[in-house]
Amino acid sequence: MDLENTKAQMRKGILEYCILSVLSKNSCYASDIIKELKEARVIVVEGTLYPLLTRQKNAGLLSYRWEESQQGPPRKYYELTPEGEAYLSDLDKSWDELVESVNLIRTSEQLINQ
Amino acid sequence: MKITVSINLGGYSFNIDEDAYAELKRYLKNLDLHFAGEESSSEILSDIESRMSELFRSKLTVYKQVITLGDVGEVISVMGRPEDFPDNEGPSRKEKFSTPGTHRMYRDPDKRVIGGVSSGMGAYWDIEPWIIRVIFIALAFAGGLGIVIYLILYIVLPEAKTTAQKIEMKGNPVNIHNIKDSVKKEFDTVRKNMKL
Repeated sequence: MDLENTKAQMRKGILEYCILSVLSKNSCYASDIIKELKEARVIVVEGTLYPLLTRQKNAGLLSYRWEESQQGPPRKYYELTPEGEAYLSDLDKSWDELVESVNLIRTSEQLINQ
Repeated sequence: MKITVSINLGGYSFNIDEDAYAELKRYLKNLDLHFAGEESSSEILSDIESRMSELFRSKLTVYKQVITLGDVGEVISVMGRPEDFPDNEGPSRKEKFSTPGTHRMYRDPDKRVIGGVSSGMGAYWDIEPWIIRVIFIALAFAGGLGIVIYLILYIVLPEAKTTAQKIEMKGNPVNIHNIKDSVKKEFDTVRKNMKL
Protein backbone atom coordinates (compact mmCIF):
# COMPACT_ATOMS: atom_id res chain seq x y z
CA MET A 1 0.00 0.00 0.00
CA ASP A 2 1.25 3.41 -0.91
CA LEU A 3 -0.09 6.37 1.03
CA GLU A 4 0.45 8.85 -1.78
CA ASN A 5 -1.35 6.60 -4.21
CA THR A 6 -4.29 6.13 -1.86
CA LYS A 7 -4.52 9.88 -1.36
CA ALA A 8 -4.35 10.47 -5.10
CA GLN A 9 -7.14 7.95 -5.64
CA MET A 10 -9.34 9.67 -3.04
CA ARG A 11 -8.64 13.10 -4.47
CA LYS A 12 -9.34 12.01 -8.02
CA GLY A 13 -13.04 11.32 -7.61
CA ILE A 14 -13.50 14.27 -5.31
CA LEU A 15 -11.94 16.69 -7.77
CA GLU A 16 -14.47 15.81 -10.46
CA TYR A 17 -17.22 16.24 -7.92
CA CYS A 18 -15.83 19.61 -6.83
CA ILE A 19 -15.64 20.92 -10.40
CA LEU A 20 -19.30 20.13 -10.94
CA SER A 21 -20.19 21.69 -7.59
CA VAL A 22 -18.35 24.90 -8.43
CA LEU A 23 -20.19 25.10 -11.74
CA SER A 24 -23.56 24.41 -10.16
CA LYS A 25 -23.40 27.80 -8.46
CA ASN A 26 -22.38 29.87 -11.47
CA SER A 27 -21.12 29.37 -14.95
CA CYS A 28 -17.47 30.26 -14.83
CA TYR A 29 -14.33 30.22 -16.87
CA ALA A 30 -11.39 27.99 -16.09
CA SER A 31 -9.45 30.51 -14.00
CA ASP A 32 -12.44 31.09 -11.70
CA ILE A 33 -12.78 27.36 -11.19
CA ILE A 34 -9.08 27.09 -10.45
CA LYS A 35 -9.24 29.91 -7.95
CA GLU A 36 -12.04 28.25 -6.05
CA LEU A 37 -10.45 24.81 -6.13
CA LYS A 38 -7.15 26.25 -4.95
CA GLU A 39 -8.79 28.05 -2.07
CA ALA A 40 -10.47 24.81 -1.08
CA ARG A 41 -7.10 23.08 -1.48
CA VAL A 42 -8.38 20.26 -3.64
CA ILE A 43 -6.08 21.03 -6.54
CA VAL A 44 -2.31 21.27 -6.52
CA VAL A 45 -1.32 21.93 -10.11
CA GLU A 46 -3.62 23.65 -12.57
CA GLY A 47 -2.83 21.32 -15.43
CA THR A 48 -4.95 18.67 -13.75
CA LEU A 49 -8.13 20.64 -14.36
CA TYR A 50 -8.12 20.92 -18.15
CA PRO A 51 -8.28 17.24 -19.08
CA LEU A 52 -11.09 16.79 -16.55
CA LEU A 53 -13.09 19.69 -17.96
CA THR A 54 -12.69 18.34 -21.47
CA ARG A 55 -13.71 14.84 -20.38
CA GLN A 56 -16.76 16.11 -18.56
CA LYS A 57 -17.67 18.17 -21.58
CA ASN A 58 -17.27 15.16 -23.86
CA ALA A 59 -19.44 13.15 -21.47
CA GLY A 60 -22.20 15.73 -21.88
CA LEU A 61 -22.07 16.97 -18.28
CA LEU A 62 -20.78 20.41 -19.20
CA SER A 63 -21.11 22.78 -22.08
CA TYR A 64 -19.30 26.00 -22.73
CA ARG A 65 -19.80 29.24 -24.55
CA TRP A 66 -17.28 31.83 -25.66
CA GLU A 67 -17.58 35.16 -23.98
CA GLU A 68 -15.78 38.36 -24.80
CA SER A 69 -13.50 39.65 -22.10
CA GLN A 70 -12.16 43.09 -21.43
CA GLN A 71 -8.76 41.85 -20.31
CA GLY A 72 -7.93 39.64 -23.23
CA PRO A 73 -9.13 37.17 -25.79
CA PRO A 74 -12.59 35.55 -25.49
CA ARG A 75 -12.95 33.12 -22.64
CA LYS A 76 -14.60 29.76 -22.41
CA TYR A 77 -17.40 29.87 -19.87
CA TYR A 78 -18.40 26.43 -18.65
CA GLU A 79 -21.82 25.53 -17.33
CA LEU A 80 -23.66 22.40 -16.25
CA THR A 81 -25.99 20.74 -18.72
CA PRO A 82 -29.25 19.21 -17.42
CA GLU A 83 -27.46 15.83 -17.44
CA GLY A 84 -24.68 17.44 -15.44
CA GLU A 85 -27.19 18.67 -12.87
CA ALA A 86 -28.68 15.20 -12.51
CA TYR A 87 -25.22 13.66 -12.29
CA LEU A 88 -24.24 16.15 -9.61
CA SER A 89 -27.32 15.55 -7.49
CA ASP A 90 -26.52 11.81 -7.58
CA LEU A 91 -22.97 12.62 -6.51
CA ASP A 92 -24.27 14.86 -3.71
CA LYS A 93 -26.29 11.98 -2.41
CA SER A 94 -23.47 9.48 -2.53
CA TRP A 95 -21.09 11.99 -0.95
CA ASP A 96 -23.45 12.38 2.02
CA GLU A 97 -23.69 8.62 2.31
CA LEU A 98 -19.92 8.28 2.19
CA VAL A 99 -19.39 10.89 4.89
CA GLU A 100 -21.98 9.20 7.02
CA SER A 101 -20.43 5.77 6.52
CA VAL A 102 -16.94 6.97 7.30
CA ASN A 103 -18.09 8.85 10.39
CA LEU A 104 -19.99 5.82 11.58
CA ILE A 105 -16.92 3.63 11.27
CA ARG A 106 -14.59 6.15 12.85
CA THR A 107 -16.82 6.79 15.84
CA SER A 108 -17.65 3.13 16.41
CA GLU A 109 -13.94 2.38 16.49
CA GLN A 110 -13.56 4.90 19.29
CA LEU A 111 -16.27 3.16 21.30
CA ILE A 112 -14.46 -0.15 21.06
CA ASN A 113 -11.21 1.43 22.19
CA GLN A 114 -12.86 2.85 25.23
CA MET B 1 22.20 40.86 -23.91
CA LYS B 2 19.94 38.06 -25.06
CA ILE B 3 18.14 37.17 -28.26
CA THR B 4 14.37 37.08 -27.97
CA VAL B 5 11.84 35.12 -29.94
CA SER B 6 8.33 36.21 -30.76
CA ILE B 7 5.63 33.63 -30.10
CA ASN B 8 1.86 33.36 -30.27
CA LEU B 9 0.47 31.71 -27.17
CA GLY B 10 -3.28 31.52 -26.72
CA GLY B 11 -3.85 34.29 -29.24
CA TYR B 12 -1.39 36.69 -27.63
CA SER B 13 2.00 37.58 -28.91
CA PHE B 14 4.92 37.49 -26.51
CA ASN B 15 8.57 38.32 -26.69
CA ILE B 16 10.41 35.59 -24.94
CA ASP B 17 14.11 34.98 -24.26
CA GLU B 18 15.66 32.27 -26.35
CA ASP B 19 16.45 29.97 -23.40
CA ALA B 20 12.97 30.51 -21.98
CA TYR B 21 11.53 29.66 -25.37
CA ALA B 22 13.44 26.38 -25.49
CA GLU B 23 12.16 25.45 -22.03
CA LEU B 24 8.57 26.37 -22.88
CA LYS B 25 8.71 24.42 -26.10
CA ARG B 26 10.03 21.34 -24.30
CA TYR B 27 7.28 21.61 -21.70
CA LEU B 28 4.49 21.91 -24.26
CA LYS B 29 5.92 19.00 -26.22
CA ASN B 30 5.87 16.86 -23.06
CA LEU B 31 2.27 17.83 -22.40
CA ASP B 32 1.42 16.97 -25.95
CA LEU B 33 2.93 13.51 -25.50
CA HIS B 34 1.21 13.06 -22.15
CA PHE B 35 -2.23 13.75 -23.56
CA ALA B 36 -1.62 11.98 -26.86
CA GLY B 37 -3.93 9.06 -26.12
CA GLU B 38 -6.70 11.32 -24.93
CA GLU B 39 -9.82 12.20 -26.87
CA SER B 40 -9.74 15.95 -27.73
CA SER B 41 -6.10 16.24 -26.71
CA SER B 42 -5.66 19.33 -28.87
CA GLU B 43 -8.50 21.03 -27.02
CA ILE B 44 -6.88 20.28 -23.65
CA LEU B 45 -3.61 21.70 -24.93
CA SER B 46 -5.17 24.86 -26.26
CA ASP B 47 -6.96 25.39 -22.92
CA ILE B 48 -3.64 25.00 -21.15
CA GLU B 49 -1.95 27.38 -23.57
CA SER B 50 -4.64 30.01 -23.01
CA ARG B 51 -4.18 29.74 -19.28
CA MET B 52 -0.40 30.00 -19.59
CA SER B 53 -0.85 33.01 -21.78
CA GLU B 54 -2.97 34.59 -19.06
CA LEU B 55 -0.33 33.83 -16.43
CA PHE B 56 2.44 35.26 -18.62
CA ARG B 57 0.45 38.43 -19.23
CA SER B 58 0.18 38.96 -15.49
CA LYS B 59 3.98 38.91 -15.32
CA LEU B 60 4.51 41.67 -17.84
CA THR B 61 4.50 45.40 -17.09
CA VAL B 62 5.49 48.52 -18.92
CA TYR B 63 9.00 48.05 -17.52
CA LYS B 64 9.21 44.34 -18.12
CA GLN B 65 8.27 43.34 -21.61
CA VAL B 66 10.07 40.07 -22.14
CA ILE B 67 9.30 36.64 -20.73
CA THR B 68 12.34 35.21 -18.99
CA LEU B 69 13.38 31.69 -18.11
CA GLY B 70 12.36 32.42 -14.52
CA ASP B 71 8.83 33.36 -15.64
CA VAL B 72 8.55 30.16 -17.62
CA GLY B 73 9.70 28.14 -14.60
CA GLU B 74 7.13 29.82 -12.37
CA VAL B 75 4.28 29.31 -14.81
CA ILE B 76 5.26 25.67 -15.32
CA SER B 77 5.24 25.09 -11.58
CA VAL B 78 1.74 26.58 -11.38
CA MET B 79 0.49 24.41 -14.22
CA GLY B 80 2.43 21.34 -13.15
CA ARG B 81 4.48 18.92 -15.20
CA PRO B 82 2.89 15.79 -16.64
CA GLU B 83 4.48 13.67 -13.92
CA ASP B 84 2.65 15.79 -11.30
CA PHE B 85 -0.73 15.03 -12.79
CA PRO B 86 -2.59 12.27 -11.08
CA ASP B 87 -3.49 10.00 -13.93
CA ASN B 88 -7.21 9.97 -14.20
CA GLU B 89 -7.60 7.01 -16.41
CA GLY B 90 -5.61 3.87 -16.79
CA PRO B 91 -2.03 3.27 -15.76
CA SER B 92 0.35 6.16 -15.31
CA ARG B 93 2.84 7.12 -17.97
CA LYS B 94 5.62 5.42 -16.07
CA GLU B 95 3.79 2.12 -16.01
CA LYS B 96 2.98 2.36 -19.67
CA PHE B 97 6.61 2.16 -20.56
CA SER B 98 8.48 0.15 -18.02
CA THR B 99 6.36 -2.61 -16.50
CA PRO B 100 6.59 -6.10 -17.92
CA GLY B 101 2.89 -5.95 -18.79
CA THR B 102 3.51 -3.42 -21.55
CA HIS B 103 2.85 -4.55 -25.07
CA ARG B 104 4.18 -2.56 -28.00
CA MET B 105 4.88 -3.32 -31.58
CA TYR B 106 8.51 -3.36 -32.68
CA ARG B 107 10.51 -4.62 -35.61
CA ASP B 108 12.11 -7.87 -34.63
CA PRO B 109 15.72 -7.88 -35.86
CA ASP B 110 16.35 -11.47 -34.72
CA LYS B 111 13.96 -13.18 -37.09
CA ARG B 112 13.91 -10.72 -39.92
CA VAL B 113 13.93 -11.47 -43.63
CA ILE B 114 13.88 -7.88 -44.90
CA GLY B 115 13.35 -5.25 -42.21
CA GLY B 116 11.85 -7.28 -39.37
CA VAL B 117 8.37 -5.84 -39.80
CA SER B 118 6.61 -9.16 -40.32
CA SER B 119 8.56 -10.94 -37.60
CA GLY B 120 7.79 -8.05 -35.24
CA MET B 121 4.08 -8.17 -36.04
CA GLY B 122 4.19 -11.94 -35.63
CA ALA B 123 5.82 -11.62 -32.22
CA TYR B 124 3.29 -8.99 -31.25
CA TRP B 125 0.19 -10.99 -32.16
CA ASP B 126 1.80 -14.31 -31.40
CA ILE B 127 1.28 -15.70 -34.87
CA GLU B 128 3.75 -17.15 -37.36
CA PRO B 129 5.58 -14.37 -39.27
CA TRP B 130 5.21 -16.25 -42.57
CA ILE B 131 1.45 -15.68 -42.42
CA ILE B 132 2.05 -11.94 -42.33
CA ARG B 133 4.68 -12.22 -45.06
CA VAL B 134 2.19 -14.01 -47.30
CA ILE B 135 -0.34 -11.24 -46.67
CA PHE B 136 2.25 -8.56 -47.49
CA ILE B 137 3.27 -10.35 -50.68
CA ALA B 138 -0.35 -10.80 -51.71
CA LEU B 139 -1.00 -7.10 -51.08
CA ALA B 140 2.17 -6.19 -52.96
CA PHE B 141 0.71 -7.84 -56.05
CA ALA B 142 -2.55 -5.97 -55.46
CA GLY B 143 -1.30 -2.71 -56.94
CA GLY B 144 1.77 -2.47 -54.72
CA LEU B 145 -0.22 -1.67 -51.59
CA GLY B 146 1.73 -4.23 -49.60
CA ILE B 147 4.99 -2.46 -50.37
CA VAL B 148 3.62 0.92 -49.30
CA ILE B 149 2.25 -0.48 -46.03
CA TYR B 150 5.50 -2.30 -45.39
CA LEU B 151 7.53 0.85 -45.90
CA ILE B 152 5.28 2.89 -43.62
CA LEU B 153 5.49 0.27 -40.89
CA TYR B 154 9.25 0.05 -41.38
CA ILE B 155 9.49 3.78 -40.73
CA VAL B 156 6.98 3.94 -37.89
CA LEU B 157 7.96 0.85 -35.90
CA PRO B 158 11.13 1.11 -33.86
CA GLU B 159 13.54 -1.80 -33.81
CA ALA B 160 13.49 -3.89 -30.62
CA LYS B 161 17.07 -3.43 -29.50
CA THR B 162 17.10 -3.97 -25.75
CA THR B 163 15.87 -7.01 -23.89
CA ALA B 164 13.16 -4.90 -22.28
CA GLN B 165 11.87 -3.93 -25.70
CA LYS B 166 11.91 -7.55 -26.82
CA ILE B 167 9.80 -8.49 -23.81
CA GLU B 168 7.47 -5.57 -24.53
CA MET B 169 7.19 -6.78 -28.10
CA LYS B 170 5.75 -10.10 -26.99
CA GLY B 171 3.78 -8.52 -24.19
CA ASN B 172 0.62 -9.95 -22.72
CA PRO B 173 -1.49 -12.83 -23.89
CA VAL B 174 -3.38 -11.79 -26.98
CA ASN B 175 -6.82 -10.36 -26.68
CA ILE B 176 -8.82 -8.00 -28.78
CA HIS B 177 -8.23 -5.20 -26.28
CA ASN B 178 -4.47 -5.37 -26.75
CA ILE B 179 -4.81 -5.27 -30.49
CA LYS B 180 -7.12 -2.29 -30.37
CA ASP B 181 -4.84 -0.54 -27.94
CA SER B 182 -1.73 -1.01 -30.01
CA VAL B 183 -3.35 0.06 -33.23
CA LYS B 184 -4.51 3.24 -31.52
CA LYS B 185 -1.07 3.86 -30.09
CA GLU B 186 0.64 3.40 -33.44
CA PHE B 187 -1.93 5.62 -35.05
CA ASP B 188 -1.14 8.35 -32.55
CA THR B 189 2.53 8.02 -33.33
CA VAL B 190 1.90 8.35 -37.04
CA ARG B 191 -0.29 11.38 -36.45
CA LYS B 192 2.40 12.98 -34.29
CA ASN B 193 5.05 12.33 -36.92
CA MET B 194 2.92 13.83 -39.64
CA LYS B 195 2.34 16.98 -37.62
CA LEU B 196 5.99 17.57 -36.80
